[in-house]
Amino acid sequence: MEPLTSMGVLALMGAAATIAGASEDLESDVGSQSNPNSQVQLAPQMMYPHRIYNKAVSGEPPSNALMCAIGGTTASVLMTTGASPILALIIGSIVAAAVHGTYSVTSYFGRSASQKRFKQPIYLDLIRSHTPVIMGYAFITTFCILVVSYLMVAVMAHPFSLPLLAFIWGIAVGAIGSSTGDVHYGAEREFQNVEFGSGLNAANSGNIVRKAESGLRNGIDNSWFCAKFGGPATGIAFGMVVFLSGWITVVFDPSISEVMGWESIIAGVAMVLLMVMWNRKIEVDARNAFGPYKSDEEEVAA
Amino acid sequence: MSAGGGGGGAHEAIPQNNIIAFGVIGGLVGIYAAYFLVDMVGPYMSFLGALGAICGIIWGAAAVRRVANYGLGTGVPSIGMLALGIGVIATTFGLAVGGIAGPVVALVFASLIGLVVGVLANKVLNMGIPIMVQSMIEIAGAGAITIVGLSTSMMGTFVFFDEIANGMIISQGVASGVMTTGYIAVIFIAGGLAILHPFNANLGPDEKQDRTLMLALEKGAIAMIIAGIVASINEGASGSLTILIGLALWYIGFSGFYDRVKRDAYDVVGTGMLPSKEELE
Repeated sequence: MEPLTSMGVLALMGAAATIAGASEDLESDVGSQSNPNSQVQLAPQMMYPHRIYNKAVSGEPPSNALMCAIGGTTASVLMTTGASPILALIIGSIVAAAVHGTYSVTSYFGRSASQKRFKQPIYLDLIRSHTPVIMGYAFITTFCILVVSYLMVAVMAHPFSLPLLAFIWGIAVGAIGSSTGDVHYGAEREFQNVEFGSGLNAANSGNIVRKAESGLRNGIDNSWFCAKFGGPATGIAFGMVVFLSGWITVVFDPSISEVMGWESIIAGVAMVLLMVMWNRKIEVDARNAFGPYKSDEEEVAA
Repeated sequence: MSAGGGGGGAHEAIPQNNIIAFGVIGGLVGIYAAYFLVDMVGPYMSFLGALGAICGIIWGAAAVRRVANYGLGTGVPSIGMLALGIGVIATTFGLAVGGIAGPVVALVFASLIGLVVGVLANKVLNMGIPIMVQSMIEIAGAGAITIVGLSTSMMGTFVFFDEIANGMIISQGVASGVMTTGYIAVIFIAGGLAILHPFNANLGPDEKQDRTLMLALEKGAIAMIIAGIVASINEGASGSLTILIGLALWYIGFSGFYDRVKRDAYDVVGTGMLPSKEELE
């Protein structure tokens, strides 16, 4: 394939992946999925009942793999019958979002009902307001992942089939959303009432922020906060993963010669080393700028 | 103080042995009925395979519930994925060598792997959960039945290799129809989540067996609908009846689950404030 064409396709894949990463993180934040979920789950037990959506659909990687695999399967079936790819990808994403909606609703119902002795009520208006938002984000994520997978199959002639690629990218986007995005929800939003950077004291366990600027805080308030930084950061992280991992084999195409294949591996290793050094520099600079965390005594003295 | 249950054995309204019998017998009967009736009656009988898979899913969910009640917490998703991982290996092996006895070979082989994993977990990793070995065998077996059942309802057969006469493919097997096309990915994840999600979604001290199993039915029905979507492009199987029965089972499962949620929850309200301090004490 023309190098210029494949670069264009790669850019499109990177853009789709960036959107997928951002929407994946916000989708998990609306329902407090993944790591922050443990505190939402714990709160009623510590006498802090709340109005936050408790969407415990396993971890983010399996739940996103489910969405994307269902979307990819439906789209692949439709394309076999002769439907146009765009239509097939959209219908596949709708089916995936609907299935994800049922998973979300049942986990909110089930988890809350299993906390009867802690007097956690089930609020039906939460289901009505949050589930469409979750399904909307799930649709965007699935569609973008399907676009990435479809481009790999149709344009880049990847040997894997569409459902399998969608499944693998679903795991990848979930893993990156969980590792990059959760940080900006868990520590910064659930524990806004404690000093920033103080860590989570055992006495504060389950004491999550339950009241908002007006009224009681819910999952949509949390996604509003995460949309400022956590979501975009996740998007950039996932977009970079898709773009850079594709870039090395587009520039150094292994199908041309074996030497090129080795060059692509060297380029990949060089990129990883560069990132490691860059990350280290950011960390050292941040520590120099903001200093070590204050110990307890200093805090009392101040 | 574990979020994942009382740290002891789970309370069971239905004894586990009955559920094992339901899973094994129901699963195998469904799979074999689909295999023979598709030949005798017509492709639209392929939905029976998915019914067999649902029996396996309910069994798997009950086994996950039992072992995870010992406080596995975040290990619940992992154990569900493990079940289907073992299931895929056992299914590939069982169907490839077993011929007509394929599903039984897959089930036996999965149980053997489950036995090894269970013994490793208790003896080498020292997890010390009394029912670990039995539960791992059950979970692995349930995973194998789920995969064979869903594959059968997608293809109308569990024969592994294509049947070729005079250089022409006269009927597609599981290897080329499910594995090569990548639909095994959706079987893996939809079956795996159907087994792990019921207990994971009901995690908490007031979890009830019937509510969890009703959710397993609902999630199994979703896997059935997906299998029906794939079946619609295969000549040996029929999608429309599978999807319709799947939707009906989904409705039964969801409304049954919602009824039990209303029965078990502290309160189900349209909207409202948080419980007051006096109420909490």
